[in-house]
Amino acid sequence: MHQVADVEVAKNIMDANKRLAEKNLKNLEDKEIFCVDFVGAIGSGKTTLIEEIIDNTDYNIGVIAGDVISEFDAGRIEKHDVPVVGLNTGKECHLDAHLVGHGLHDLPLDDLDMIIIENVGNLICPVDFELGSHMRIVVVSVTEGDDTVEKHPLIFKTSDAVVINKVDLAEAVGADADKMVADAKKLNPNVKIIKSSLKQGSGLDEIIKAIEEKKNSL
Amino acid sequence: MHELSMAQGILNAVIETAESNNATEVNEVTIELGRLAMVNPEQLKFILGVLVENTIVEDAEIKFEEIPVEIDCRECEFHGSAILDDKDHYAPMVKCPECDSLAVEILNGRDIVVKNIVIEKPEDN
Repeated sequence: MHQVADVEVAKNIMDANKRLAEKNLKNLEDKEIFCVDFVGAIGSGKTTLIEEIIDNTDYNIGVIAGDVISEFDAGRIEKHDVPVVGLNTGKECHLDAHLVGHGLHDLPLDDLDMIIIENVGNLICPVDFELGSHMRIVVVSVTEGDDTVEKHPLIFKTSDAVVINKVDLAEAVGADADKMVADAKKLNPNVKIIKSSLKQGSGLDEIIKAIEEKKNSL
Repeated sequence: MHELSMAQGILNAVIETAESNNATEVNEVTIELGRLAMVNPEQLKFILGVLVENTIVEDAEIKFEEIPVEIDCRECEFHGSAILDDKDHYAPMVKCPECDSLAVEILNGRDIVVKNIVIEKPEDN
């Protein structure tokens, strides 16, 4: 004979990642390392921005580059003579705290004071996965369309700074960069918003300043 | 877009609880889904349907309950349930119902929780 029973499970599927993110953060803080993670769509300019930050600051930077096939971005960053770990997510659309934990393990933490994480190009899935960084910066380019910010509210709401990149191309693609600024401000009134054209060298100083301000505020 | 890894986490939690309660079969699984979690319930149900094959969860009915979005408004100090836009997508705008501001802090509505399961098990003797 069988009986039927109602059993409480009460298991939060998101908790496992949150716990690992907290562990990553503690690991970073024990080593006095500041960590910033970059999210944004494919082709928004994340890798270029990371290259520019490496070349234009004096920090001892290590990079975790996530991608479905990570060797491309990791290979670009390696040329700047900093330690890089490429994380292959394979079929997954985002980095998670577990993968980042492995990445941290493979970096020479004792020699670093800043770690930059480049997430997989995606404005949706990374929202669900904290990584354990101190700061999240979302990079969006005007070429993605000036409705991109309002179409992806959560990533803009949960980031600490917004970079609106490739503004030199706005006219050519018929995009209004100021609309994107206004949309981001509406969603996240206190967020730092920076317009940039990394190819033309504008906005980089402000981005570096925003990272330093956050670093010094901790 | 990451329904597969979420579905695997859900199934692991269900099987673990079922086995520790000596279940021979799982009849029903209730999942609480945050309205702002970046997963689509239909896709989640589809992929769960694939993963449960040849497990004790194979014939279970999968039920979803929505976790509503709770907010603190930074403009007018409202605290409670948000209003969401009625567009059919899974990253809705979250607004304060009092002052319409989008400048709100999201307190709840982003989690995925396996709430409970209904199992069959041998009679206790």
